[in-house]
Order: sequence, then C-alpha cells, then structure tokens
Amino acid sequence: MQDERGLIEEARRLDGGYHLLKIAAPQIAAAARPGNFVMVRVSPSLDPLLRRPLGILEKRPPYIWLYYQVLGRGTRLLSELRHGDSLDILGPLGNSFPEIAGKRVLLIAGGRGIVPLFHYAQACGERRPLLLLYGGRSRADLLLLDRIKSLRLQGIFVFSEDGSIGRKGLLTDGLEKILKEERPDITLSCGPEAMLARLAAMLRPYRLENHASLEALMGCGFGACHGCAVGTVSGAYRKVCDEGPVFPLEEVRWPT
Amino acid sequence: MADLSADLGFRVLKNPVITASGTFGYGEEFLSFYDLDLLGAVVMKGIFRQPRPGNPPPRLHETPAGLLNSIGLAGPGSEKLQEIIRGLHARTPVPIIVNVCGEDDDEFAEVAAIFSAMDEVAMLELNISCPNVRKGGACPAQDPGHTARLVRRVKEKISKPLIVKLSPNAADIVGVAMAAQDAGADALSLVNTFLGLAVDLEARKPVFANTTAGLSGPAIKPLALKLVWEVCRKAYVPVIGIGGITSGRDVLDYILVGASAVQIGTINFREPAAAKRIIGEIEAEMERLNINDLSAIRGKLEA
Repeated sequence: MQDERGLIEEARRLDGGYHLLKIAAPQIAAAARPGNFVMVRVSPSLDPLLRRPLGILEKRPPYIWLYYQVLGRGTRLLSELRHGDSLDILGPLGNSFPEIAGKRVLLIAGGRGIVPLFHYAQACGERRPLLLLYGGRSRADLLLLDRIKSLRLQGIFVFSEDGSIGRKGLLTDGLEKILKEERPDITLSCGPEAMLARLAAMLRPYRLENHASLEALMGCGFGACHGCAVGTVSGAYRKVCDEGPVFPLEEVRWPT
Repeated sequence: MADLSADLGFRVLKNPVITASGTFGYGEEFLSFYDLDLLGAVVMKGIFRQPRPGNPPPRLHETPAGLLNSIGLAGPGSEKLQEIIRGLHARTPVPIIVNVCGEDDDEFAEVAAIFSAMDEVAMLELNISCPNVRKGGACPAQDPGHTARLVRRVKEKISKPLIVKLSPNAADIVGVAMAAQDAGADALSLVNTFLGLAVDLEARKPVFANTTAGLSGPAIKPLALKLVWEVCRKAYVPVIGIGGITSGRDVLDYILVGASAVQIGTINFREPAAAKRIIGEIEAEMERLNINDLSAIRGKLEA
C-alpha cells in the first residue's frame, strides 16, 4: 500500500459520463492484483474532503487504468484532470479475486462492474477459459466491449435494457441458459446491488463457487474508519475496504 | 531547533500531536505509512467490554469540508483490544491511550479498570461524548451531574491518568468541563463530533438509521476552537484541543487559545500520513514565529 503521486498520461472522455484514465503510478502498478482498488484524491482542496474509491481496470507497469462514471462532485472534479496533471493515489487496496486453477470461470459484470473483472481477465491472459456475461442499461454502459474483445475470451454474452446493443433485457435473463450450456464451476461478479442480490438468489441452487466484488462509500479505504460496512448472513458487519471488496456471494446479506 | 514537547502535567509528550479516537483504527492500520513513534501519542478506537457490530450502513455522509459519521462504535471488545495493544506496543514505543466506552457507568468503570492494569497503556480517555450510540445522540457529557459521578467512579478503579472527552452538544460545555475536573479528571479533551442531520430528499427520510450523526472535519474547526478557548479560560487541568485540524498552523491556533496538545482526526482518512506532515509544519511555523517552545504562545490569545 502506497500513497503515490500518479501522473496522468491520458484522460479520455467517453459517452454516458464515463471516463478512462491512464496513470503512471509505478509502485501501485507493480503491486496491483485483480480485484484491488485505489483511493484517489480528486482535489488538493479540503472540499471535497474524502478520496474516492475506484477499481483498477487494467495494469501494465508503470501504468494503471481507471474507468469511472461521473456520479457527483468528486468524480466531476476528477474528470477535469488532463494529461500531465498529477493525482495522489493510495493503493493497491483490498483483497483480490481468488487464484483459480483449471476451472471454468463465468465473469458477470453489470455496467461499471466490468472494472475488476476486466483486470482479472487481463491478468489471466489466454491461459484460462473465461466467459463473460455483460449487461447495462444501454450501449453507453458497455463501452469497454471493444477493449474486452482484445482479451480473446471464450464467450461473451451481452445484454442491454434498451436493446441498443446485444440482446434486449437484463443480464440475469441470460444467466440460466449460460449456466446450463456452458457449465461454469465458478462465477466472479460485480455490479449494482440489485443485480448481485438477484444473482445470489438465482445461483443458489447451482452450488457453484461464487465471488462478488462490492462497491461502497468509503472514508479511508484501508480499514481505519469502519465506514464501509456491509451486512453478512451471520449478522456481523464486514469492512468492504480491507476485508473485501471481494466476498463470497452467499456471505453477503442482500436487501430483499 | 524548536522544542515541540507538550506538557500534560502528568506526562510530557514529545510533541502535541495525538491521533484521535475513531480516526486511527487501532494504530496498526497506519504502520505502513510512517513510524508512529513520531507522534505525541495515539488514541485507540473506542472500546466496550464486549464486541459490538456498530450501526447499519450507510455510516458516512460527506458534507462541504466535513464528514458526518454514524459508525456506532463498532469494535472487537476489550479482550481482543488487549491483544491488539500488546502487538502494537511490541512494534512501536508510541504512548497508547485507550478510549473507554460503556453502555452504563458500571461498564465504563469495568473497561477502564481492564486497561488501567495494562503496562502497555499510557493513559485512558473516557468517551462520555459519542453521539452515535443512543437515538437522538444523548450521552453522559451532556449532564454535569452525570459526568461528575461517572468520573469519580472511574477514577476509583484506575491508577492511570484519565482524560475526559467532552461533547460540543452539551448546553454548557464549560460547566461539564468544570464538573469533570472537579471530579478528578487529569485532563480534558474536546470536542467530540457535533450532532448533525442529513436527509434523503427523494425518500423523505434521514440518511442515517440513527437519524442524527456526528460532524467532523475542517468544517467544524472554528466552532471547536471557540469551545476549546472557553474551556481553557476556566480549566486548571490541561486541555487537548480537537476539531478540524489539517495543518501545523491549525495546531498552533489551538495552542494559542490554551490547549496543551491536540488530536487530529478526520484528516487521517484523506491523508494517512497527515500527522507526520503536520508535525513538520509545526516546527516550520514555530521557526517563522520565532518561538522556541509551545509555552511561548500557549494561552496567549489577547481577547
């Protein structure tokens, strides 16, 4: 874990309020593992006060790539940064997806939930049969498809709610068919809470190994503030930042 | 070279910078950022007798230059904290202060006794001011009578120095401060967080399950500084100033109104090595002001 001064190599504005940052951060890039995230200080000003947690999309030392959507003041300030600007980045933070040998893995990504799964797929290279089920509201939520195609996955199944790309519907509409036909052993998922809750219910009878990466509001990102608690089925809370962000899907208490 | 030492009467700290309870975990979370021995002291996150799950999420809400929190004193319980403290003490000689909590006076006294008996613990801070435990934010530090009873009770059970942490949500914080010191507090620390409210306009509900939450960060500094000044004018025990500190200059502001030391809190989240930077800034600032030690400005506000 380092508090590193990153240098923005490229800042690209994409459709739908999405942005892609390529940042030179050699120490973080060297240490980052799939599923890790960083806390970025969006402004030198004390307002906004807190850093923002962002998943690492990809790493090729000395670079990391961050892919995010402008959702509020913090991410809007971040989107104003340009090539040559510097940015304080704390990371890599959190746990990572488990090492998996010789199993068929289904990646399930809703919208910007693609971020840690992309990193996982990139790290696997072509060594492993990976499938991707990828959904969003519309084409703008699935902008990384071209970049994903370069990863040569074994299969990509795309859904959009408005039908502007792939099949029309929610990605969960396509899940049963994929589970039956492709017979994955493991799922790794990331996306909106409602999607993950639905996945947890749908996957239960299949008895696969399921891991989900969670998003949370965070104060510090390294376990000090206890602000990012998530409820678990045991009744205890766990910290998304340093006990996660990857949890067994069944362990999380999802809203009903 | 300037002398940064901070005299609490019962103990001299190497500098006035203490990390505040709830903002520094159990110290170990910060070991990878800097040598904790640079600090005057560290305060552990507040502890009860038994493990506590804390409040349901959301627990945080960012405000302009501030942070509302409703963590609810989540923690592993006294036994586990003893283990953590032994581990931390083995890695750094920084003085360790335990922030003692309780659901009732009995529990405060019991937890205080447990940690007073530990050689690794330098002093105790009595957290009678957390606004996130009871609905509505009620806490003993809102009542001078209750504060006095509780401090006397705890003092009977311990041999270590006792800091009493005060609430800005008391009608008369100076009255509570006087009650605490007359009952035997060795020092006072203030302020804990200000009670605040955030609402969800769409849902027409409070953001937090506990309705109100505690505000901290740079936004509260002028409010906290004023209360510290008021208490320092009356107190005969040392005062530790807390609230919105982000720079060496902020630290000297608190010393100027009479504080003997300070605690830095929310800035630790934004900048894990903030305390290290701030200690360096105090030194630079003292040089600029041409003062050799903190007593040259402590309580010297001309007002």
